[in-house]
Amino acid sequence: MDADIKWLDDPETFRVNQLPAHSDHHFYGNYAEWAHHTSRFVQSLDGQWQFKFASHPQARQPGFFQPDFAASDFGEIVVPSEIELSNYTQNNYINTLMPWEGKIYRRPAYAVDGHNKEAGSFSEGQDNTVGMYRKEFDLAPDLRGKEVRVRFEGVERSMYLWLNGHFVGYAEDSFTPSEFDLTPYIQDEGNVMAVEVFKHSTASWIEDQDMFRFSGIFRSVELLAQPATHVEDMTIRPSVDDGYHNGHFSLDLQLAGAPVGTVHVLVKDADGNSLVDQSLPVDEKVTLPAVALENIHLWDNHHPYLYQLLVEIRDEQGQLVELVPYRFGFRRIEINADHVVLLNGHRLIINGVNRHEWDDQRGRSVTLADMESDIQTFKENNINAVRTCHYPDQLPWYQLCDDNGIYMMAENNLESHATWQKMGKVDPSYNVPGSVPQWKEVVVDRARTNYETFKNHPAILFWSLGNESFAGDNIAAMGRFYKEHDSTRLVHYEGVCHTHDYSKQIPSLDKSTYLPAQGTKDYRDQISDVESWMYLPPKQVEEYLQNNPDKPFMECEYMHDMGNSAGGMGSYIELLDKYPQYFGGFIWDFIDQALQVKDPVSGQMVMRYGGDFDDRHSDYEFSGDGLMFADRTPKPAMQEVQYYYGLHK
Amino acid sequence: MAYTNKLHVIYGDGSLGVGGDGFHYIFSYERGGLESLKIAGKEWLYRTPTPTFWRATTDNDRGSGFNIKAAQWLGADYFQKCTQIDVTVDDHHFAGLPLDNDHYSNDETADKVSLTYTFTTLTVPATTVTVTYTVDVAGQIKIAAHYAGKAGLPELPIFGFRLVMPTVATGFEYTGLSGETYPDRMAGASHGTFTVKGLPVAKYLVPQENGMHMATDRVTITRETTQNNADCAREPFSLTVAKGRESFAFSCLPYTAEELENATHVEELPLARRTVLVIAGAVRGVGGIDSWGADVEERYHIPADHDIDFDFILNAK
Repeated sequence: MDADIKWLDDPETFRVNQLPAHSDHHFYGNYAEWAHHTSRFVQSLDGQWQFKFASHPQARQPGFFQPDFAASDFGEIVVPSEIELSNYTQNNYINTLMPWEGKIYRRPAYAVDGHNKEAGSFSEGQDNTVGMYRKEFDLAPDLRGKEVRVRFEGVERSMYLWLNGHFVGYAEDSFTPSEFDLTPYIQDEGNVMAVEVFKHSTASWIEDQDMFRFSGIFRSVELLAQPATHVEDMTIRPSVDDGYHNGHFSLDLQLAGAPVGTVHVLVKDADGNSLVDQSLPVDEKVTLPAVALENIHLWDNHHPYLYQLLVEIRDEQGQLVELVPYRFGFRRIEINADHVVLLNGHRLIINGVNRHEWDDQRGRSVTLADMESDIQTFKENNINAVRTCHYPDQLPWYQLCDDNGIYMMAENNLESHATWQKMGKVDPSYNVPGSVPQWKEVVVDRARTNYETFKNHPAILFWSLGNESFAGDNIAAMGRFYKEHDSTRLVHYEGVCHTHDYSKQIPSLDKSTYLPAQGTKDYRDQISDVESWMYLPPKQVEEYLQNNPDKPFMECEYMHDMGNSAGGMGSYIELLDKYPQYFGGFIWDFIDQALQVKDPVSGQMVMRYGGDFDDRHSDYEFSGDGLMFADRTPKPAMQEVQYYYGLHK
Repeated sequence: MAYTNKLHVIYGDGSLGVGGDGFHYIFSYERGGLESLKIAGKEWLYRTPTPTFWRATTDNDRGSGFNIKAAQWLGADYFQKCTQIDVTVDDHHFAGLPLDNDHYSNDETADKVSLTYTFTTLTVPATTVTVTYTVDVAGQIKIAAHYAGKAGLPELPIFGFRLVMPTVATGFEYTGLSGETYPDRMAGASHGTFTVKGLPVAKYLVPQENGMHMATDRVTITRETTQNNADCAREPFSLTVAKGRESFAFSCLPYTAEELENATHVEELPLARRTVLVIAGAVRGVGGIDSWGADVEERYHIPADHDIDFDFILNAK
């Protein structure tokens, strides 16, 4: 198969030869490797890559992926990083409008009349910058002779991959891992990997998040070799019985490679006591039937108790082939008959923040130190929950939240703000995904990838279908995917509130502010287990709570912390004491998006925001809404958050 | 002549001088206020203090259009029109200016001196603000500010008294609430005495109102430098403001509201050269519901049609 640039224009082509998403477990050759956090099966490709920038698709260098291509005029770039921050192309911050606003007229394919294909929209887009990456590498000795795949943890926005001149595959969905099998083309030495990264494709319509618009391989890349027998996917099923004292543990494994040997499953508590110790024969699918466990330790914010699962794959001689460790927890989230959200039988209160991944020098290519610092800030300030706005975060973040008892709303990579809200009015005239058939699979795939990758994390209490994308059949289909695959979490989506008439529930709210003038189908009974709004003032929140709430209420965004703000928080917090159906919210947001640059006039290092790079259209300082300044020092308002979030710890 | 139990009063042509043990003040008739506040040989005033009505637009103010609604107060803050000065020495209230002052000596004394400056705001409609300075023999100045409520004016961003010092302070110590606080954002603060080094400006991406401290009993500002060419001492010296009948709010920054307003980035702010102390009797909340329309909650507004009074002690002992 050859790469086809027309895929950029086609919403129905979003993954080509990409391996199915699977659980995010690590795997090692033995216990010593685990102890040292290094696996013989992993080879990092981070570091310097050869790089050539093209301002639009037609300016690309044909054949740059050929091993013998003369790449003498290529420069270098560090992987992972943002292309813009190496100054190949302009930084731009923009909120709801598409980045080509006022420059190029575009509409989403099929979204206007069902037939508009918009051929060439992106494949010939003069704004569609391209990064051409090349990496020469030898396979590390331990990876040789094995099946080898490559994992790109995050690439904005659409990537084509070649190895040694052969086309390997294509991927979208910038914020989840993309894996490709390299086995047919890989050699021990002298490999040439080539990646073409396009800033825009049909995916741009559904990745219209309020953020600096970057592109590039901005998360790590690694080669993963497959042990002779390998846990390809793992679904840990810890359940908590009624009564909240006892539970069950079961496990589903999907194995690849040699169908021989045994699977040894061990579960230990935090003191090292063995609770499960069973061996099963290797098979394509292995299920450990439910094991009853008494007096389990429950996981929550105060006591993030984790159990250690160890899956050992042993060959017929009993030799360890693969070790898969995973820390999991028991917790139960549910909505009771009074429409109150319970965690482990107790009322759940979300003292949350929305968190964009941000580093004032690296953009969204954040470091582990950034993440650890953020967790520390959460703990110091009584923040117990995070919404991964508005895309999945880097893999280690989920483990950090497990370890530290941070409740997660794990959001899909979806926002299509420009397609339904114009100049503040709800006007979904060309909304995607909406109910446009050609846009269904791409968003359901995002739901699937989010679920499959992160399903084993106890920290995730809510799946969130996305942000500010209006609602239609396709978002309903995403919700159904989660309902069909996961009974242990709630499903959240805010945008559905724009399809329902709240005259009875929130009488003082003017309908024209949240409903489209042209009318809409009501999706409220299909989408979202919880009633979620953003920035609804306390008075209207109280109205909803007083009018027989049939869904528990939360604010997925509130307390907009732009500049000197966060006043009046007490008016929200006091509602928690009055109404059990209110379960809190996520402050918008955690950290300012601003870039630290050297000011040519003063020579000082200074913070720059939208528009400061001559970028137009821009939404200027609207990127600065954090409780933290972009350099990770707290804004003065933090003491208020610490206080109010401390009242319902 | 010993002044220890009396104020020395100098009946000047353009001012009223008031001296005592370790202090000397000049109340100007020409400049509409206290022109000189000299304590232990150090000058504390750069220009005469004035009422203040403006706060640098916050992001929430801009989003809700409050800066546009309240814009008159920016002009009123920037340009001040003193329309009347009343002088009272002990129990004698002078009929008006100029004083009939050819019959005094250099040995005039008093127990109490009081001046009231009346400002007519450059708003439509106009209203008045009076600032009354009352000096006691210890050199303490009780300052009482009165805003005359007027229907038809927009809500106020702030009502306070602004005092600009000639050089930048090295820091301040205050007894009140921790951190930056506003009427609708002070629940999380702890009460105590806090030392602040330098004059930190909260580094909001777009410079804006910042650094307010609500419910303060006392603040002491310390400087080490003056503009006096003959004074090369670098010893710290301090000025204290204490509460009068009630606690006050204050901010102590190197910039006026207008300087903050004028910058779109922190690095565009001027080099820090002065100390701008605002003692406020009424502070508007900052809000937080959203930054594109939601108003500050009603109870944290400053209505313009109500009188506002506050007082405090300058050079408190």
